[in-house]
Amino acid sequence: MVRVLNFFCVALMGLSILALYHVSEKTRVAHMELSKVGSRIAQEHSHLSVLETEWGHVASPARIQKLAETRLGMGDTASVQLYSFDLLPRRAENPGPLNNTPVQNASAQIPAAPTALVLPTSHAGM
Amino acid sequence: MSETPTLFQRRIIIGAGLCIVAFALVGLRLVHVTLLQSLDGGHAAVAVVARADLTDRNGELLARDLPVKDLYARPRILWDKAEAARGLAVATGADERRLLNGFNNAKNPYVLVARQITPDAEARVMALGMPGLEFEQGAKRYYPDGRNTAQVLGVTDPDGGGVSGLELGLQDKLRKAPGGKVATSIDMRVQFIVADELAKSREKFRAVAAGAIVMDVTSGEVLAMVSLPDFDPNLRRMMPGDSQRNIMVQDVYELGSIFKVFTFAMGLEDRTFRPDDVLTIPKGFRIGKHEIGEAHHMPGSMAARDILAQSSNIGSSQIALRSGGHRQSQFLRSLGLLTPIVTDLPEKAYPLYPRHQWGAIETATVGFGHGISVSPLSFTAALATVVNGGRRIAPTFARQAPGADRRGEQVIRHETSVQMRELLRYVATNGTGRNADTPGYDVGGKTGTAEVPGPNGRYIRNALRSSFAAIFPAHNPRYAVLVLMDQPKATKDTFGFATAGYTAAPQTGRIIQRIAPLLGVPNIPLPTQLAGGPAL
Repeated sequence: MVRVLNFFCVALMGLSILALYHVSEKTRVAHMELSKVGSRIAQEHSHLSVLETEWGHVASPARIQKLAETRLGMGDTASVQLYSFDLLPRRAENPGPLNNTPVQNASAQIPAAPTALVLPTSHAGM
Repeated sequence: MSETPTLFQRRIIIGAGLCIVAFALVGLRLVHVTLLQSLDGGHAAVAVVARADLTDRNGELLARDLPVKDLYARPRILWDKAEAARGLAVATGADERRLLNGFNNAKNPYVLVARQITPDAEARVMALGMPGLEFEQGAKRYYPDGRNTAQVLGVTDPDGGGVSGLELGLQDKLRKAPGGKVATSIDMRVQFIVADELAKSREKFRAVAAGAIVMDVTSGEVLAMVSLPDFDPNLRRMMPGDSQRNIMVQDVYELGSIFKVFTFAMGLEDRTFRPDDVLTIPKGFRIGKHEIGEAHHMPGSMAARDILAQSSNIGSSQIALRSGGHRQSQFLRSLGLLTPIVTDLPEKAYPLYPRHQWGAIETATVGFGHGISVSPLSFTAALATVVNGGRRIAPTFARQAPGADRRGEQVIRHETSVQMRELLRYVATNGTGRNADTPGYDVGGKTGTAEVPGPNGRYIRNALRSSFAAIFPAHNPRYAVLVLMDQPKATKDTFGFATAGYTAAPQTGRIIQRIAPLLGVPNIPLPTQLAGGPAL
């Protein structure tokens, strides 16, 4: 009886050792995977940081202004060309509140100097 | 009946005990491995970030630590030291002779090859396939906006310590939160516009230096501060013509006629005159052996508001003398003009003023902005105090909550402040500041043209310092702007004049025209005819 018990105990210990080794190995592998993922996350954070900085550089006002001037031919807007959106005329007969009615004509027209009347010459119509 | 165990029984008991101990150890180890052992104790590659980001008031990035690597070599492991020095010099740009000397010095276990190398350089080094090289992760401070914010942000040293500007001034905050963000009051858009306009004007007028400040008069936030010449903070070396000196906080200037703003504020506060009072303006105004003159022809008598609008030195002197020297020094001190201004910037300048004798002639000259030198930032803060309802304001470079009111104690009466706003608006519509008036934005301001003192204490002939102090909208100011040009030269467009009305004033007008829509300052509609719409 004692011999059987001994054998059973030794076998159980052997199985436990195997189980422990298995768990330990799985843990080690998982740990390595975790380290790799952690490393990749840190690397991606680092890349994001660089990309954000690069974005800050390419979207800087100085660069945008240069592109707008050279590629689009844009320039400064004079303050007389600025107008309150609320005061723009609406398409409706009676201007109402801003209820998505389309803007009739958004371009302000600054009164121009009166042009000289050109009279037809005696040759006109000939 | 107790029987002592036999030898065989004792062995069984000992064996069973050992088995129990062994099982207990296995069990404990299982508990330790599966439950207690930390799983995050790995060596994840984390970028070394020593400082927090600096952002503008809208969250746009101004400065950030980027991961870079420092390269070290272990000379004892190198196969061929001369070849290694040559290869590394080509790959990293390091000095070959320095490397070779370092490699041949037996005392050096490690030799620094290059700091903060780029990924390209790292790839070139790796391609050499050389043993004995080690990379150490580090960080390099990068400034996406480059020169535009260089003077106000300052720089760090290679070890990540602040050296100047906000990098030094906000050092504690930046080091407390590595990887976090520290928001400044700077508005990157406004900063760029001011820098852009200032650079154009500096080139046009061939000025030695130029600077500008935009400040919120209620919260004291500095939205923009530009000082030219500047430098590229990403280069880490100065190019010809560059300067690291922030003239807006580190230097003091005799600002000339823009100082008349304080003389008039003092007179109104002391009720020594009213804006419509008429004063006699003699041809020359003698005080003892000194005679005060005018920069240009003035009528024999003028209303006080026209004295400010036409910038009469004699009229301003008379107004200053009505309050007296003692009161003048006390008034300027209450505005913070006689002490160095304290801000988040570590740089500061000590004002120069008559310390030993503040008599009649000193009172008169200080009245029109000579004989006293203050930093442009001090001046702007004092101007903000005068127009914000008369309450003291301290400039700050830290972002405040929207609509924050940081005004302190009442320095001048509210009515005096309102009167000063009207007078400054009058200068922009009817006086020397007409070129700064921007349609739709109700600009108020004052021109200042001062002569530049030379090394011997005498004024340099034909060398002027032009400035313009502006507020907008003048009826209820939200922002104060100061533009300064050091020794601008006249051009054909300015009819041979280099005075502030032709140089600093139009430049200020252009700055306001561009920044006001961005800052949400309401545009006062002009009477224009809209196509198809009613006449307005």
